Amino acid sequence: MSISTLIPRSGKVRAGLAIVVAFVVIAVVGPFIARYDPNQTSFDMLEPPSGRHWLGTTQTGQDVFSQFMTGARTSLLVGLVAGVVSQVVSVAVGLLGGYLRGVADDLLYILTAVFLVIPGMPLLIVLTGYLPSRGLLSIAVVIAITSWAGSARVIRAQTLSLRNREFVEAARGTGESRARIMFFEVLPNMLPLVASGFLFSVIGGILAEAGLAFLGLGSLTTTSWGSMLYFAQNSQALLSGAWWWYVPPGLAIAVVGAGLALINFAIDEYSNPRLRTGSATRPGRSGRRAAAAVAAGAEAELSGVAETLAENDSPAGPGNDETAERTAAHPEFDRADEPELAPCLRTSPMPGSPIIEVDSLRVDYPTAFGTVHAVQDVSLTLRRGEILGLAGESGSGKSTLTNAITRLLRPPAEVAGGSIVYRADDGTPTDLLRLEDQGLRALRWNEIAVVFQSAMNALNPVTSIRAQFDDVIRVHRPGLPPARRTEIAGEHLERVGIPADRIDAYPHELSGGMKQRVAIAIALVLEPDVIFMDEPTTALDLLVQRDVLDQIVRLREEYGFAIVFTTHDLALLLEISDSVAVMRRGHLVEYGPARDLYREPGHQYTKNLLSSLEELGSLA
Amino acid sequence: MRFLLKKLALYAFIAWAALTLNFLIPRLMPGDPVQVLIAASEGQLTPEAAEAIKAQFGITDDPLLVQYLAYLGDLARLDLGVSLSHFPVPVSDIISGAMPWTLGLVGVATVISFLLGTGLGVLLAWRRGTWSDHVLPALTFLNAIPYFWMALILVLLLAVTLGWFPYAGGYDRTMFPELALPFIGSVLYHAALPALTIVIGSFAGWVLQMRNMTVTVLGEDYVSMAEAKGLPRRTVLFGYAARNAILPSITGFALALGAVVGGSMLTEVIFNYPGLGYTLFQAVSAQDFPLMQGLFLIISLAVIAANLIADAAYVVLDPRTRQGA
Amino acid sequence: MTTTDTTTAPGAAAGPAVVLEGRNLVKEYPVGARSGLLRRQQRMRAVDDVSIVLAAGRVTALVGQSGSGKSTLGRMLARLIPVTAGEILLEGTEVLSAGRMSHREYVGDVQLTLQDPFASLNPLRRIEYTLGRAVRIHQDVRTAEAVHERCLALLERVGLTPAERYLDRFPHELSGGERQRVSFARALAASPKVLIADEPVSMLDVTIRKEMLDLIDALRRDEDLAVLYITHDLGSARRYSDEVMVMHHGKVVEAGESRSVIDDPQDEYTRRLLAAAPNPGARLR
Repeated sequence: MSISTLIPRSGKVRAGLAIVVAFVVIAVVGPFIARYDPNQTSFDMLEPPSGRHWLGTTQTGQDVFSQFMTGARTSLLVGLVAGVVSQVVSVAVGLLGGYLRGVADDLLYILTAVFLVIPGMPLLIVLTGYLPSRGLLSIAVVIAITSWAGSARVIRAQTLSLRNREFVEAARGTGESRARIMFFEVLPNMLPLVASGFLFSVIGGILAEAGLAFLGLGSLTTTSWGSMLYFAQNSQALLSGAWWWYVPPGLAIAVVGAGLALINFAIDEYSNPRLRTGSATRPGRSGRRAAAAVAAGAEAELSGVAETLAENDSPAGPGNDETAERTAAHPEFDRADEPELAPCLRTSPMPGSPIIEVDSLRVDYPTAFGTVHAVQDVSLTLRRGEILGLAGESGSGKSTLTNAITRLLRPPAEVAGGSIVYRADDGTPTDLLRLEDQGLRALRWNEIAVVFQSAMNALNPVTSIRAQFDDVIRVHRPGLPPARRTEIAGEHLERVGIPADRIDAYPHELSGGMKQRVAIAIALVLEPDVIFMDEPTTALDLLVQRDVLDQIVRLREEYGFAIVFTTHDLALLLEISDSVAVMRRGHLVEYGPARDLYREPGHQYTKNLLSSLEELGSLA
Repeated sequence: MRFLLKKLALYAFIAWAALTLNFLIPRLMPGDPVQVLIAASEGQLTPEAAEAIKAQFGITDDPLLVQYLAYLGDLARLDLGVSLSHFPVPVSDIISGAMPWTLGLVGVATVISFLLGTGLGVLLAWRRGTWSDHVLPALTFLNAIPYFWMALILVLLLAVTLGWFPYAGGYDRTMFPELALPFIGSVLYHAALPALTIVIGSFAGWVLQMRNMTVTVLGEDYVSMAEAKGLPRRTVLFGYAARNAILPSITGFALALGAVVGGSMLTEVIFNYPGLGYTLFQAVSAQDFPLMQGLFLIISLAVIAANLIADAAYVVLDPRTRQGA
Repeated sequence: MTTTDTTTAPGAAAGPAVVLEGRNLVKEYPVGARSGLLRRQQRMRAVDDVSIVLAAGRVTALVGQSGSGKSTLGRMLARLIPVTAGEILLEGTEVLSAGRMSHREYVGDVQLTLQDPFASLNPLRRIEYTLGRAVRIHQDVRTAEAVHERCLALLERVGLTPAERYLDRFPHELSGGERQRVSFARALAASPKVLIADEPVSMLDVTIRKEMLDLIDALRRDEDLAVLYITHDLGSARRYSDEVMVMHHGKVVEAGESRSVIDDPQDEYTRRLLAAAPNPGARLR
């Protein structure tokens, strides 16, 4: 571990750190290098900046620079104390309430709500109005009292979610005590939140102190940036044009606040990888080294890759970060140079003309660990009416492949080579990769529809089923009157076994199986040529899965569309598909008719898969 | 509407807590405000005013509970006591005079800032990874500027230097307040700069929150599905992404509103704007405790009401809260 | 040791020593969002009058779909959630009555492993910490060196070798299968008599599921553990368990010797489950 790993890579965060460090230095040494006593008056009144008075003087001849340097300490100190106190209170309230639940939580929740809603500044003003003597400490504490609630609510919510995480349950199962779980298991996992809350309470504290001092409610015997502004305002500095008096303190507050907020960008991006901006490419760092770096740093990087990959290649079931963590820490893709056994590709004797032809497709992800080749030289042909099963374990690149075909890849993933051609009824080819927005939108849903793993959230949670049918019909069949659109939607709902009168339901009012069926019905509504189904039954119970599968197979017979069915469940694929493609580490290792693949798998990996299934009793 | 009823109960409780806090603060704070006042007045306090102070603070030796009941009784009759600095004007009269100014200024400015901020936030999220990312640090800086300092700078630039706007007051003092066009024009003219201050001071916060939420939501499956449906970009962005991303902004309204109200009060002070904030500042300076408390109570109740409205909007926007009606 | 009344417990086997027994267990949950302090709650029965017997050296499979109550039952038996009604007997002693047995004492005998290997280890702690805590709690060792030794031994027992290499790793540096093995090692640190494995393989890739189930089987044999294997997969239940209990809507609908239940199901629900499982053989053979 070297120092360089501790320096953040984001420019924003570096700038933030530089600002904050600079001001902390000023706060520490400022009073010593101030050239005058900040309160010492002189006859140099309202002088503009000069060699003698770097920032000029006030109306009573005080040196503004000395006041500024001394004031930095007061302002930052009040902010720091307010930040620490308010964070201690919010952690205590949030952690206890969220972990203990029950009546304690109810009471703490209401207490938090009270302090959250009652506006802080007026309360602050009234409280300080009554304070007999206004020392810095009492002001900081009063600020903390009015500002802890927001953070407490966030921490409570996070505790509620963490306490249900399995590692907390496992710790209870090991026999750890309650306090130990709260402070050694749950709390460390909330540090980003606590840090972020701390930064904002410091900002809030500095702003509140400045505001109070500006109103004349601060400790007026101590110089702070706020009290400088108070005296400046009271002496009409504005009208007399003494900008050197009131610009520096206000600017300093804004800059310190911005510096702290910039540091918070790092925390935000750490805990929500989707927020990361720009390219993550940083050449010259091997995955091993990065993973072996500081725990926190490594974890952040990994979750970043995880998120990128998970978004583009949703792996088997709920272990969403599985993909990338494995990619990163056990870089399977890095082992691409290990000899890959020759793939076993059998020409498909399927009848029907080709509808989608994928040729030597390659998809790359630039990541912090170098480029990951998520799809490498994959060629496939989908024919009209065919069910093509796409199998592979988590992180094999199967979803990346289908996202490339449907043009749903998200940056930083990009097609690095190869071609994808769609053929219309009459055989006219369309190059999907070169299609412009307009042409792509026209083709979408009319010819190529997608069913997402939607028992979870492929349906917009805040609009009705009707609206989600309606928008797509309106865009692609502009002439239809509303009544007709409703009628079409209702017909398709009934076709998947949902009563047409459920059309005004919202997604949350439907069970997982019903949501999946609604997604299928929406996919059918324009009678497309191809439907891509990404793990459409993974989150469903066995019995519901069976219903949905039967329905899909029946509808395929009725409408004659082709299906690309992606799942990690090879047994299921073999049962419903005409042909099966097996992917592993971005390669197509086996591709051919389902029957051939089942009876005599050609690639060692497929053989292993099938024998594992056999031993687990899943092929019975 | 179980969700809304629950919220209603919570806010009723919070309102009660605010009332009670208001009752307790003068009684629990160290020091005796009455003595402070009488000492501070150096004999200038009229006997009537001294009596009023005693009445206000329940100088009677009644037990706390009796005082509390009397306090609640007064409130029920909208009797907030008598102002000391404007003796003998009732506090409620002063407040009802200042209220419309603040409601108009802060209300309108907050709505503008919210709409502007969320709209820009969605835009920045959509254009993520381009030049727009460089706007973020600037917004962060804007968000950290103290309102009152922003107000000072705006006054300096737009009022003092350029003379485009008046720098103080709520309307032209030469006019008589009436419901006529010239007067309304003057009010709007005077409100422009304070409103600008509040908007600039607060919209960056909405932008940052909305951008982060929209970026997060853009990764959801339903947005991919909307895209796969071939819907126009506008529909995907607003009908799917922003429509969902705005929900946390509304939940977080309470937190943001507190900051806006605090900042607006200081803004009013700078502009000598005749609203609640400026009145509170004057009350504090004059140690007019009854007025101070009346104002605190009214501001709190107004914020509570605003939160209730935000929650009602939430119910309209999120069908999941309407379950089990 | 008192003998237990086997007639009340379906799936009870005569012969091997009964270690853990649950009698007429009931778990109710409040449903719907809680609203306010005093409002009355609607309640839902997640587990409805279930009795179960776990015997040393035997694997009992608890099969059901999500929401059937199987995991709830497992957590009740591990005393991770309170029991609404019923009794739990550990080696014939009632353990639920107040003061009978502390939580820590109980989990020394009954250990639970969880489904998600990616979530069941604290992401911020090295393996040595996670295992070391379990060792400190359940074994009579105090010095750091002794704890270290025990941790190494545990890792070796679950097949993570060379053990030295794993101790200073973070969970994210391990694969799913390796993490699941660490979970087993943590459970073994307590030298338990009962191991409750909640969906131990459902989140692992197919090719490593078998090794994991083989590991459980080996532990059962070597340690004479009573194992409760909770799963939704009838196929693996048939191969890896001695008895099977099928749960549906909180009730046990069918129980008995594994092969006979799965090859010749008597209950309608069990039959539908078996029929719903993907069955490529029928079409492609």
